[in-house]
Amino acid sequence: MKKYVLFLAQVFFIFAYTLSVRGELIFPKLTGPIVDEAGLLSPEMEEELQQKIQSIKQAQVVVALPKSLQGQEIEEYGYQLGRSWGIGQKETDNGLLLIIAPTERRVRIEVGYGLEGVMTDARSAQIIRRLTPFLKEGNYNQALLSGLTDIETTLKGSDLPAINPATALKTGSATDSTGIFALIIFGIIGFLYIMSHPKGYRAQAVLDLVLLLLSIIGRGRGGKGGDDHFQGGGGSFGGGGASGRF
Amino acid sequence: MKKGWIILSIIVALVILCGIGVIKTLNGMIGMDEGVKASWSQVLNQYQRRSDLIPNLVQTVKGYASHEQETLSAVIEARANATKTVVSPEMLSNVAAIQAFQKNQSALSSALSRLMAVSERYPDLKANQNFLDLQSQLEGTENRIAVARKDYIDSVKAFNTRIRKIPTIWIVRLFSDMEPKASFDIEPEAQVAPTVSF
Repeated sequence: MKKYVLFLAQVFFIFAYTLSVRGELIFPKLTGPIVDEAGLLSPEMEEELQQKIQSIKQAQVVVALPKSLQGQEIEEYGYQLGRSWGIGQKETDNGLLLIIAPTERRVRIEVGYGLEGVMTDARSAQIIRRLTPFLKEGNYNQALLSGLTDIETTLKGSDLPAINPATALKTGSATDSTGIFALIIFGIIGFLYIMSHPKGYRAQAVLDLVLLLLSIIGRGRGGKGGDDHFQGGGGSFGGGGASGRF
Repeated sequence: MKKGWIILSIIVALVILCGIGVIKTLNGMIGMDEGVKASWSQVLNQYQRRSDLIPNLVQTVKGYASHEQETLSAVIEARANATKTVVSPEMLSNVAAIQAFQKNQSALSSALSRLMAVSERYPDLKANQNFLDLQSQLEGTENRIAVARKDYIDSVKAFNTRIRKIPTIWIVRLFSDMEPKASFDIEPEAQVAPTVSF
């Protein structure tokens, strides 16, 4: 098992290396409307931001916090990220990315072709100017909230084709209830398992269960990257938007 | 008699196969040709967009920095030159035309960047909302130009690689008037490798 993992890691690094040598960017996986590769957001905050994003119906909005821009300018990185993820519908190109690169201290709004008329460069720049003070304080949560609110307001300013619900922000609220359900069943089985042991061995049984639980959680974490509920609709980008420093 | 029929049918089959091959190759090249033309139109669009921004920008700067007359008229002149050079999608194989286009547009680019640098010296201008909007529109447009140019370069590269291959080149020469397309030179500032900081 260990050997296998090591081998996979090697293959991955060789692959990543050849890609980087060719000067191509390696993008994080699109796992949801918020891709926090840099790990700056708390789960609660992510939840709140996700709700905010879900209320925006005129566009497919994705927030990206990449660890590194891999030596590229954020303008270069941004449109290629948008194209690679295919944010927005193919027919309407209504994708919008809010990118914050904490390492390079750059921020950018990348606007899909179809939204350029509403989300003009001037407006994008205004939004950037309004959120950079929060970034300077290191308050990423507030910056994102401010940015998303402004984006929502801007997009509401005009009639736009509604986003197709099939590829829209489909984050499973269903998984939450199945999680709780699974927990209850696990609790009952666990209780029965402990009780089935004679009194002196129950501590050992509890330890077994804890270890089992930990291994399941570990696996769950690892598998989360493969969550393909969320995806782009094939929208394209042409470099519209605005950037800022902080 | 029987032998003759077999030979004849083999020849007919070969001709049909060759015909299918020729049609497929030509259709592929026509598709790519259209792709190159579309990406060129995008390049033209974005340059036009920049050109359209300039009168407003010049007017706004003039209001605050009237004694920068020289920089302002350099921009206006460069714009007039740039709009004179028109390269239609049918002229893309003309290297000289593309080079002239590129030269005039980059002259406009440098005139504009001088204007923006000069503007830094006027705090009132920099605080003007209209100027800020125009500045961000100009930045956005420059970025769109960069993207459109890169897309054009990529599509020309793919087209030229395909058209120069054997037997595509023979088929294209025989049945169409398509020629390899001219690409942009990479501009000096783009050649500098980006600095990596850790």
